[in-house]
Amino acid sequence: MTRRHLDRALGPIALVLVALTVWLGLWVTPPDETQGNFVRLLYLHPALAWVALYLAFGLAALSSALYLWPRTRSQRWDLLAASTVEVGVVFLTLTLATGMLWGRPVWGVWWTWDARLTSTALLELLFVGYLAMRRVPADPHVRARRCAVLALLAGLDVPIVHYSVQWWNGLHQTDSVLVGGFHFAIHGSMLWTLLLSFIAMTVVFVWMVRRRYEIAVTESALADAALEDAVLERRKEGVR
Amino acid sequence: MTAVDTGPPPLAPVEPRRRAASSKGRFLVVCVLLAAAVALVLYKGLLSSLNYFDTVDQALDHRAQIGTTSIRLEGVVVPGTVRSTGSGALFSISGDDGRAVSVTFVGSPPELFKPDIPVVVVGSFTTATSDDFDSNQILVKHSASYIAQYPSRVRAPNGSTR
Repeated sequence: MTRRHLDRALGPIALVLVALTVWLGLWVTPPDETQGNFVRLLYLHPALAWVALYLAFGLAALSSALYLWPRTRSQRWDLLAASTVEVGVVFLTLTLATGMLWGRPVWGVWWTWDARLTSTALLELLFVGYLAMRRVPADPHVRARRCAVLALLAGLDVPIVHYSVQWWNGLHQTDSVLVGGFHFAIHGSMLWTLLLSFIAMTVVFVWMVRRRYEIAVTESALADAALEDAVLERRKEGVR
Repeated sequence: MTAVDTGPPPLAPVEPRRRAASSKGRFLVVCVLLAAAVALVLYKGLLSSLNYFDTVDQALDHRAQIGTTSIRLEGVVVPGTVRSTGSGALFSISGDDGRAVSVTFVGSPPELFKPDIPVVVVGSFTTATSDDFDSNQILVKHSASYIAQYPSRVRAPNGSTR
């Protein structure tokens, strides 16, 4: 299978995986002993968080570091970082929204300032700030440098979010997957559906980032072409 | 014979200072807004402390210092102690070492509230020395374990049901 075929198949594969997760999550898996049917958010919320925290912002931090490193500096790293942050903010917003939907019936509140929730809200703000920073008109290299620094600073919050449930007493649950090694605190079909949701959301993320990155590269090429056209126009004006 | 300059004519700059100032201003605005938002979130988070609650054991160990200040108290609802009242419920929560606190709750408990689950109650001890606790909010703190309500539907890899 060529890369082009794989690229074309990515969208349909993501759709099938999401549909399979929905079917297993809503119809096949049993209710939870304590949470009843509210547990079905388990097949959405953690997978969204996995993508936002580790894939999107991890990739954004890595590509930002590669941009800042003089030997690897390339505008493509900047565009990749911007694309992953944009998609990551969508996933993180959905993480917060589904967490609130889950928290209301289970905890009894939509929102509370425990360490996990506070550090996640902070991460959302930092990356929304990153997107705002990209809209500030500046020389592309200056903008890329500013954004790369901000992405790396914001990325420091990711381990804080991850370990917040271990470092401090919080309302948010601790880890259910890979607890103390290769151990899971989730029953049979619930576990497999959870793992499938992680794969499904990962494929959705890859598909979205690829599309967004292509758009970013095209936008950048168009901006360069427009600049060249403008320079040529000015020169013509000068000749007249 | 004089040489003819055939190169491109020089380009006149178009309001470069104004543009630069505008860009810098917007950059500063974004930085200030971002810093303010981060400070607000940290303030809210730190205000309610990084440790969201005291466990029953921690609270009883520092009982004299707590007095009647408002705190969040975490413990497991002791089975057999939950009684409904006209305005809420009475129950006890216990810590790891078995010590318990009696809670008088006013309000509507969350849907998942029941005996033998960890909860966080918000309120204060009734007097400076009492171990009775008045609360107006219960938060259910569910565990990280997910167990099927109908275990017979779950089949282990070796074929047995659990």
